[in-house]
Formats: sequence, C-alpha cells, structure tokens
Amino acid sequence: MRNKLNIKQMKMKRLILSVTSIGMITILTSCGGVAGDKPTAENKTAAIDMKVTGEAKVAEVTSAPNVPAPVGDRGPQKWIVNLETTEIEAEIADGINYTFWTFNNTVPGSFIRVREGDEVELRLKNAANSVLPHNIDLHAVTGPGGGAEATSAAPGQEAVLHFKALNPGLYVYHCAAPPVPMHIGNGMYGLILVEPAGGLPKVDREYYIMQGDFYTKAAAKAGLTEFNNDKAVAEEPDYVLFNGKKGSLLGKNMIEAKVGETVRLFVGNGGPNLTSSFHVIGEIFDNVYLEGGSTVSHNVQTTMIPAGGSAIVEFKVDYPGQYVLVDHSLSRAFNKGAIGKLKVTGEANPLIFNKGKK
Amino acid sequence: MKPATYILLLLSLLAQSACTKEKPHDEKQGEVVRASIGPIKTTVKMVYIPGGEYMPFYGAIDSNAVKVPAFLIDERAVTNEEFLSFVTANPQWRKSSILRIHADTNYLRDWPSDLELPKDARPDAPVCFVSWFAAKAFAKSAGKRLPTLDEWEFIAMADADTFNARSKKQYSDAIIQLYMEKGRQFKPVKQSAPNYWGVYNVFDLIWEWTDDFNSIMSIGDSRTGGENNNKDLFCAAGATSASEVNNYAAFMRFGMRTAVKAHYTIANMGFRCAKDTSNQTTQ
Amino acid sequence: MKAIGFLAVLTFLLSSCSFNEAKERKLPDNSIFHLTSNWKNQDGKSMKLNDLKGKTLVVVMIYTSCKSACPVLVSKMKQIEKAIDKAYLPAINLVLVTIDPENDTPEKLKTFAQTNKMDEPHWTFLTSTEEETQEFANVLAMKYKKIDPIDFSHSNIITVFNPYGELVIQEEGLEINVEKVASTAVKIAKENN
Repeated sequence: MRNKLNIKQMKMKRLILSVTSIGMITILTSCGGVAGDKPTAENKTAAIDMKVTGEAKVAEVTSAPNVPAPVGDRGPQKWIVNLETTEIEAEIADGINYTFWTFNNTVPGSFIRVREGDEVELRLKNAANSVLPHNIDLHAVTGPGGGAEATSAAPGQEAVLHFKALNPGLYVYHCAAPPVPMHIGNGMYGLILVEPAGGLPKVDREYYIMQGDFYTKAAAKAGLTEFNNDKAVAEEPDYVLFNGKKGSLLGKNMIEAKVGETVRLFVGNGGPNLTSSFHVIGEIFDNVYLEGGSTVSHNVQTTMIPAGGSAIVEFKVDYPGQYVLVDHSLSRAFNKGAIGKLKVTGEANPLIFNKGKK
Repeated sequence: MKPATYILLLLSLLAQSACTKEKPHDEKQGEVVRASIGPIKTTVKMVYIPGGEYMPFYGAIDSNAVKVPAFLIDERAVTNEEFLSFVTANPQWRKSSILRIHADTNYLRDWPSDLELPKDARPDAPVCFVSWFAAKAFAKSAGKRLPTLDEWEFIAMADADTFNARSKKQYSDAIIQLYMEKGRQFKPVKQSAPNYWGVYNVFDLIWEWTDDFNSIMSIGDSRTGGENNNKDLFCAAGATSASEVNNYAAFMRFGMRTAVKAHYTIANMGFRCAKDTSNQTTQ
Repeated sequence: MKAIGFLAVLTFLLSSCSFNEAKERKLPDNSIFHLTSNWKNQDGKSMKLNDLKGKTLVVVMIYTSCKSACPVLVSKMKQIEKAIDKAYLPAINLVLVTIDPENDTPEKLKTFAQTNKMDEPHWTFLTSTEEETQEFANVLAMKYKKIDPIDFSHSNIITVFNPYGELVIQEEGLEINVEKVASTAVKIAKENN
C-alpha cells in the first residue's frame, strides 16, 4: 500500500515538475522571442479580431524576382488586389516559345504582400481573349476551395473575392480551373506573403523565386510549343525552371547582394508535380521558415519545398562570388534548367574563405 | 347618340390614348413586343442523328449511360450573317435595345451599330458575343431550339471516322490543340473536315451554348470531384463526377459551361440549333 | 344616365392612368419584371412576374417532393420571415418557385403551403412550364438537373429583388445567412416605402 502510494505521489510530483518546466520553457522562449515570432498569448489579438482602418487602397504587386515593400509596423488595412489571367506566348528557353497561362502576364504571377488581419478584395479579371475560364485558389485564404469556386471567371469576365488574412506565412496561389494540372503546368501560380503583426525582421535584400516543372510537345526545337499531357501524367518534365524561363536568374538577370548584407528569398514551388530540394551552393541558410510557416529552423543546407508549398530562407552573405541556386535533384538543375545565381560583390575576407597553401 | 354622350366618349378615348401613349415611353419594351419572336428563314442544312446510349462525361447518375433520342442538328454554327437577319426581324434583340437581364454589355460587342457587322468580320464566321437568351430566341425564330447538353456531347464523341472516338489516344489531345488556337472564332464555318455525322466545326471555332448548360452543378473548382459539393450543397449526392479523368478536352468544355451565366456574352462563344425529329417540317 | 355612365368610366380611366404614371417609374433594364413568362400561383391564378412589382421579393427555387436540400431552404425562408419585423411583412413577398412544374401543380403548392404554415398573404408559390422555369432559373444563375422522374439536383440560392425587380443580393449554399437576407429585405422595403 505504502509503496504504491509513494509511486503515485512520485508520479504526481514528476507530472507537476514537467508541467512547471514546460511552463518555464514557454516563458523563456517568449522572453527570448525574436521579432517575427508569434507574440505571447497575453498580447496576441486573434487575426479575426484585428480591426482594419482607412479606405481600401490598391496594393502594389510585383513580378519576380522583385517583391513589394515590407509591411513594417503598420496596422491592418483594406487592400484591393488586381490580378488578370491571360494566355500568352513567351520564351521558355532560347528560341523556344511556349503558350503560358498566367496571372498578370508573368510566370510566376505577381507577388502579393499583406499582413495578418488585412482585408483583401481580390479582383480576378479573365482577359477577353482567353480561351478558357480561370480562377484562383489562394492557400492563404480560409474558406471553400481557397476561393477557387468564388473567383471562377469566364473569358472577359471579372470575379471578386473578399477575404481576411488570418494566418501569417508564405503561401502559394494557383488556378484551380479544370483541368487543374494543365492550368498549373502552364504557369498559373504565384506567392502571397502574409506578414505577422509587426512585420518580418528587417533584411537588406529580398527576392521572389518560384520553381515549376514544364511538360512540352517538342522540347529543344525552335518554335512554339505547348503543354503535353502525357509527359505531365508520367511526371517527366522537359524543363524544371525558376521563374518560368531558362536563365531567368542567370547572366544579367542574376540576383545581387553585397558582402555583409542579409538576404531573404521567398521561394515557392508551383509544381504541378515535383518537390524541390532547394539549395544555394556555397551558402548555409541561417534561418528557414519551414514550409513557409512560423517555425524557424537554423543552419540549413537544403530545404524541401513541396509542390504547392514554399519556404522563406535567410542568410548573410559574407564572401564575394557567384552563388548558384539549384534544385539539388541535380539533373533538374544541370539538364532541365533549375539553376540561378546570386552575385555577391564586396571585399573578400580570407579568414572565411581562402584558396591555396598556407 | 346625344352630342354630350358623343363628346364624353371622345374624351374618354382621348384619355385612354394618352394613357397608352405614356406606356411605351415608360416601358419601352412592352410585354407584347418582348414576347413575340419574328420568324426568320435559315438555309443551314440539318443533319439527322439517330441517337443512342452514351456515357456522359460529367453528371452521369450512378454511372448509368444516358439515352439520347434521335434529333436533327445544324451542320454548322449560326453565322454573323444569319444573326444579322435575326436582329433585323427582331428589334428587341438588337444591340441598342436588348435588356440587360438578357445580355451583358458586351453583347455583339464589335458591331458598330444595330444592323452592321464588325468591319473586318466575315459574314460566314460564327456569331459570338451572344448570350444564352439571345441564342435561344434565335433558335425560336428559326423554328428550332438549342441542342441539349447530352445531344451536343453525343455528337462530340465522334472524330472523322467513328461515332465514338473517346477511347482513341489522340482524341482529347487533338481537341485541345484546336481549343488552344487564338482567334479561331474569326474563321468562316465549314472550312475544316466534318465529323463522322457530317457535322462541322464541333471543336475548331467556338464554344457553343447548349440549352441546359446550367444542369452541370459546378466544376469551377474541379478538384472537389463533386463529392463534397453534393453533400453540402446539392440534392442527390454523388450524381456528378467525371467519368474519364484523362479527357482534358471535356474538362475544359465543362469548365467553360460552369463558368458562364445565361446573360454572359463571350468573345469565343456562339451556338448552333437543333430540332426534334418529330416536327421535322422544313429542311 | 348613359352620360353619367361614361363619366364614371372616364373618371376611372383617368385616375388609373395617373395612378399608373405615379407608381410606374421606368422599369430598370435589368428588372425581372421584363420577363414575359407565364406563372400560376398557389391559388391557380395566372400571372406574370410583373404582377409582383411594388414589393421587395425574397425568392428561392425548390421542389416540394425534395427530401434533402429543399426542406432546409424552406426552413431558411421561414426563419427569414421570422427575422423580419412584422410591420414590414406587407411590403415584402416571400416567393417559392418550383423547379418541378410537372408535379408541383397549384393545388400541390397550396397543400404544401398549408402543411408548412406558409399560407399568409406574404407567401407566394409559383409554377410555370419547364421552359419558362429554366429561363427564370438562368436569370438567377441557378443550376439544376432532373436526375430521375421525381428528383432534381440543384444549387441552393436565395435572392432578394427590390420592388423594381432588380437583383440586390444572392446568398448561396445551405448555410445561408438568414439575418443578412432579412435585414436586406427590410432595408429595401424601408427605402421604397
């Protein structure tokens, strides 16, 4: 009896102890919380209860690799976001044109940047010369289909969706009109960033990169080509690309930074099929917002970005040179186009990196 | 009749006419004018389709085949020229007088005026920017009707050689190729080969209205496969789901049908007419 | 005697004329009262949609033998009725249009109205032909399909029209916001009083 009681008591004690330590840890982390982490329960207003102020303004949207200005410490507001769905011919690789379907005439589509609590009026216009109806499913939206059904727009028509950004994070949006793999395969995707209250921590450079796999009728021949359903079903792409075009981040299109600066990449993966193993050769990610969410991992070499997912990666560039961005499933990088470059200029510190004998 | 009575009668008639004179001003489209449809003559050949059983791509009930009775269908789409003769005979369907409830503001968008085709349009190209209401009125004036969705899809199963080419590997792909061509709606009708039934331009010019286009619940968001929607929103759960997931061409067509409303007018959407076989009087 | 008779007729004509002028401001282009379709109400009375002019309309399309979604819609309509201040009910018409004209005869609609305690004057049930029903459904962008002799699949939409027949709001799905529909109807009724 006595023994048993003791065991019970001990168990109790342990339980209490562990509860206390969990509490301690919670307190500790909340004390040490960096900007961008979720505020503590006490001062956290649920996004749904955040009141917007002022009249609706037209939000700035940008094409890759650029991103709109950070939200900073502004309060929740009303925004109008204009997107137009189009079906256009554009170069996918040297001498080869492809019939892309787009949001705002670019692949990936325009980058949308809001903060939690913001109220967005999304106006989706389908170009009058479109062949097909289009719509938008935003992974940042809470509600049926992410808005797909509500935004379905026939050629020449406009649909409007109102939503409140409830969860901070980096989210993919895409067209979900039938057949979905074809709409995505043709380039109908982009990113929407919902910053937490107070904004993400400041960095020196921000860029927008989105990977996609492309399936074409006639690869490597000059002329115009289009979506190949058989290859898509087999998941055998001809191209795996950053920002919808071979060489979109190479040569004069390289993204840039200076030694000592912090760089933040908003990286998305439109798919439709492949998962990306995103890596920057010669760099280590100081911070990775895993899958575009709120959990931050540190000192990461390669991060997985699922189709229809994202990641925010941050690193300080310490040494000049050209840093190669790849999907580390390397055949895609070297044979199918998933390659780009970050050019870092500035003074070399031999302590960090130095070639040659001592 | 006494003169006083006479004057009173005259007065009352005057009052009445003043009253009726006001009316058309108030409601410029009175009921009588709206309801009637002036007949037009069309010369388009109609093709006899014997009908039969077919499996609907979308909307099959418990995976049952649907019986399509015999019918007649225009061998080609209604042309600009024909639509001009329709609005000539039916002023209420002209660009300047059509009701907004019957067509959006893009109705006959490129026509410079009520009875004038777009400058660079071919008279023998299919008419576009027409609403379902307008298409239906046209059919009525021609003594016909719009084809049902099942009738249209029954014909759409055919390629040049067989009445049902759905199982052929190239079937869907070839159609998509046709769908993707920009500006295809400006081409004249009957320039390409007819299908097995002798019907022209099923895929290569325009999207076509069907009478019951609104019978497809919704695949605006095609991923739900109908299942969730049905449970939440519709009677008869499970009545709608696609029968051939690889038939991308059909997905596009049905996607189009669910994205439109009856008053929409669209750059690449027109129609052709059909008719029951029983009242086959004119040809 | 005759003269007096004529005078009476004349007076009537003149008064009805001026009455019409006062009440009949030009129908907007997008008014459903332009539709020429023929309907019968639950009392078997033939009518046009235009006969509903002058009141705020809350419209739903259903069929009476429906066992799944329609009972929910009907109960939503009754909730809307409850949510409307009684003073405004005379200015509002709650309209149920059948998508099954073959089975839903005026008599059947009448019985349905009585069984469901929807037989006060602000309730209207309408039935027409299949073709004209389809036309009306398309005006509402309502989707439906006959799937067997007694059943339909259909979308669920409640629509509010102002007294001039212009569509004001549509609420879709079975989770229709009763309060919103009712308050919108009352607001319009107030504005047009």
